[in-house]
Parts: sequence; C-alpha cells; structure tokens
Amino acid sequence: MMLLDPFALSLISIVALALLGLPIGHAMIASSILYLWLAGLDMGTAAEQILNSLYTGYLLLAVPMFILAAEIMNAGTMTERLLHFCNAVVGRFRGGLAQVNVLQSLIFAGMSGSAIADAAGTGRMMQKLMTKDDKYPASYAAALTAATAVIGPIIPPSIPLVIYALVSDASIGFLFIAGIVPGLLLAFGQMSIVAIDARRKNFPIEKPIPLRKLPGLTLRALPALMLPVVLLVGIRGGVMTPTEAAGVAAGYALFISIIIYRSVTASQLYSALLNSGRTTASIGMLLAGAMVFNYVVTVENIPHSLSALLISWDLTPTQFLVIVNLLLLLLGCVLEGTTILLVIVPVLIPTAKALGIDMVHFGVMVVLNIMLGLITPPYGLLLFIMTRIAEVPLRDIVRDVMPFLFVMLIALAIVTFAPDTVLFLPRLLGYQG
Amino acid sequence: MLERARPIACWLYRRGENLIAIMIGVMFCAFLLQVLFRYMLNWPTGWSNELTVVLWIWVVLFGAAFVVREEEEIRFDLVYGAVGQRARRVMTVVSAAALITIYGYSFPAVFDYVTFMKVESTAYLKIRFDWLFSIYIVFVVATIARYLWLAWQALKGPGPEDFDPAKASSGV
Repeated sequence: MMLLDPFALSLISIVALALLGLPIGHAMIASSILYLWLAGLDMGTAAEQILNSLYTGYLLLAVPMFILAAEIMNAGTMTERLLHFCNAVVGRFRGGLAQVNVLQSLIFAGMSGSAIADAAGTGRMMQKLMTKDDKYPASYAAALTAATAVIGPIIPPSIPLVIYALVSDASIGFLFIAGIVPGLLLAFGQMSIVAIDARRKNFPIEKPIPLRKLPGLTLRALPALMLPVVLLVGIRGGVMTPTEAAGVAAGYALFISIIIYRSVTASQLYSALLNSGRTTASIGMLLAGAMVFNYVVTVENIPHSLSALLISWDLTPTQFLVIVNLLLLLLGCVLEGTTILLVIVPVLIPTAKALGIDMVHFGVMVVLNIMLGLITPPYGLLLFIMTRIAEVPLRDIVRDVMPFLFVMLIALAIVTFAPDTVLFLPRLLGYQG
Repeated sequence: MLERARPIACWLYRRGENLIAIMIGVMFCAFLLQVLFRYMLNWPTGWSNELTVVLWIWVVLFGAAFVVREEEEIRFDLVYGAVGQRARRVMTVVSAAALITIYGYSFPAVFDYVTFMKVESTAYLKIRFDWLFSIYIVFVVATIARYLWLAWQALKGPGPEDFDPAKASSGV
C-alpha cells in the first residue's frame, strides 16, 4: 500500500477529521467520498450505499423501538416497583442497597438493550438511594452503577448484539439467548465483589422487609418482570421477528405503564418518542458512515487480505481470540463502542470464520469486550455519565470501578476460553453450531 | 437581523422535533398493527413493513440534518477536549472546510443518483424512490449549511463550546 494510494489517503483522512473533532459519521462519509473521487469512481455511490443499506437494514429498526421501550419504562413507575421488589429480596444482606443495584440491573437488562439508557434511568435512582444519609461513598455508588449497567446489553434484548448480527449475518435470536449465561456470570462476579466490600468497609444493612410481604411486592412488580419472558418466548417461538419483538416490548411497556400502573403522562410519552428519534438519528449517522466506509474496505478487499495474512501466521483460534480481545480492549479505552462494532469488527469476521470460530460465540465475546470499554478510562461513556449524575471527580470513580473491571475481565476470559458457557443454552434450543 | 431570526429558528426547531417524534410514533403503531394483523387476523401486511423502513430512513436523515445537536453527535474528542480556544477555532474551521469541499464537490453526483432513482417505486406503497431518497439531498444541503455556520461562528463568534461526552448517545 503506497502512501498516495486512494485507500491510504482516505484512512488518513478519517483519522485526521476525527481528531479535528468532526462527528465520526461525517468523518467516515467524507473520507469515503474522497476515496471514490481519488479512485475515479462515481461519487454518487456514497449516497447509493448509504440509502440502500438503510433501506435493506430491516433488522436495525429494532434499535429505535428498544430505545423507546427503555424510555417508557424509565418514565413510568415500572422501575420503582422493580426496585422495591429487589430491595425485598436482597436488601436484608450487608451492603443491601449495593446488592439491589446489581439485581435491578440484571432484571432491567432483560428489558432494555442499552447500557447508557440503564445508567441514565435506573442508575440515576440507584445513585440517589445509595448516597442518601451518606450510606455509601458517592464514588463507590457511581462506580457500581456504571459497572452494573454493563450487564444491560449482554442479557437480551441488546442493541449492540443487533448491530453485530447485522455485520456478521449471525442469527439474532441465538445471539440473544447466548448472552444470558455471560450476563448472569457478570452479575455473579459483581455481587461477590460487593459482598467482600460490604464486609471490609462495613456497609449498612437495609431494614429487612418481612418475607410475608414478598408475595405482594412480587405481584406488584410481576407485569414488569414478565416482559423478558414475553420477549424471549416471542422470538424463540417464532411468533415475532426480533425487530417486531422490539416494537412489542415498547407496546407492552406502554400498556402496563398506562393501564395497570397508571403512571405515564402524555408529555412523558412525547419526550420518550423524541428521545428515541434523537438517539436513532445519531446512531443512524454512525451506521451510514460505517456502511459507506465498509463498502470502500470491501472494494479494496481488506478483510480477505487480512484474513490471508493472519492465516499465513498459522494462528490457532485461541491465539486469534486473545489478539482480538487485546486489540478491542485497547481500542475500547479510546473509542466509542458502536464505532468499533461497525468499523473494526467487520474486518475481523472473515478471519474468525476461516479459523472455524463460531459466529455466535465470537459475537457475545466481542460485545462483552466492547461493553467493558464503556468503563475503561480515558474514554468510557458510562464513567462520563456517572460523573455527571453523581457529581464526583472522574478519577474517584475510576479508582472504585477497578475491582469490578477486574471481575469482568475474568468473565471475559471465561467466555473467550470456554465457548460452551456461551453456546450451551443456544444448543439446548436447537442451535447447530 | 440574526437576533430577529432567532425566535423563528426556535419555532422551526420545535416543529422539527414534533415531526421526528411523530415519525417514531407512527413507526411504533405500524409495528404493533403488523404483529396484530399477522398473528391474530392472519393478514400479512407488506405495507406496514415498508412504511417502517421508509420512516427509519427519514428519521435518521431528517434527524441528523435538523434535530440532533452538535453536542449529541458521536465524536472522538480526546484532542479537541484537551486544547485551548484558539486551537479549537482552527480545528473547527479546517474540518468544516474539508467537509464542505467534499460534500459540495460530490453534490452533483448525489443529485444525479437520487433523481435517476425515479425509474423505480417501492413494492407496496408505490412511493417513487426519488421522492423517498430526496431526504438525502436535503441532508447534504443542511449539513453544508450547518458547517458554514459553525465555521463562521468559529471565526467571528464566541468560539466553539466544550463538547459534553455524556450527551452523545449511540445506543450501546
């Protein structure tokens, strides 16, 4: 590859424009047009690629609907009821509220597909509860909330897994099911850390709620608790496509918020719709940029050249997975997750396929890795959001998040080296792989 | 003159927000009807499928053109966040100039592609593709206008603000 080769120039242009602070979507679109221009190709191809891939990307319609569902749940009292339920279950232990934080993230993960939405919605409430009367240090509460929000996109539904399904052609239904065990593993790891910290730092115990009240609280939370079941049965039973299921999840959340809980106002619904539209547009730009750039990458035959190169090194699948993990962890420290998923991962997929790595296993591993990037400094979106919510310095949150990051790395290692932890459930449900 | 235009711009911005919320709302209803029709009444609905896809394209491009604010866009701001005011002004002008040049130079080709698509229509709703895709032209023109404005602000105005990374959202 010569330095003045059109592809090299367009790569340099992406990096330069992004460093100058241009939105990444625009940086990719502009640099791809630059490539077409220099290579003497029709520049209208950029528009064609963007419009056609949006038009045929039916799977992506799940994204606005999952965001809408999360917005509606946060607007109504659904989240509160879940908190009461979680408090009745684990509040009685030492560090009770911290355990509630993990459990509610786990349950909420079954309804929401976005870690950012979880932190901004339930995370805000947890932060307030945990720091009331100085029960927990604000930075510890913020670090815990950031760490537990990571479970959101691992347990189905999951927006990053939808995007992975799009770039890899793996079955979204099986990807969703494959996320369950790793998600539980994360929650287990976090609960263990909390249990150790609670003893060491003498965290408070919540006033135990009598067990006879548990059935009542469960009943109050039940319609909300049923949502993950509706989703999974719907998708697995072939009743709906994952995209429709996202719409149904939003519909179900709206139905129980209005009819059963009587808690969502018209203006809340409007802002839920608007927020979903805004986020959709900003993800859409990233998708548009990635799609046209991926076209350029394909024209240049980069993925297959890379695949040929890596295979000529005689890598074993395990060695390749380790390299991928290190690369993505490094990139996750400085880049935003969706960008990595859309730009870097497609280049790695042909090699993974050639090495016989299962695409569902690869997807769950990659998404878990990229989600860890949300809590790794210097660029970790969840850390930024919690800094804003908790009003504590970033470095304090970073210090307190380290033990959680450590157990999550262990979970990543388990997922990487023991594919069965991921593939066991999908195989049970008929996955051939 | 700019001060007088401000209320009008705000009013237009609100209507843009209304439109994008309505589009998401219609998309949502179409999904629910689609599931209802197919599984309860056994009517397959190709039109609802197509309607949602059309709305998706428009939400993304219309939203990116008119509704998404600068601070909500996903960017790499480690360098931008670290440098001073003067450097930011220069960076904004340089990147805006590059974007305007490339989008402007490729505009005729984009226009040709979109108008050429008049030869086809969508399968169920029979929307001509040049109409459907015309939002892309609007998007390019609005983006060029936005970056002309940003570059002008960086040269003459109060200078670019800090980006707030917590406001950017990409659904992860």
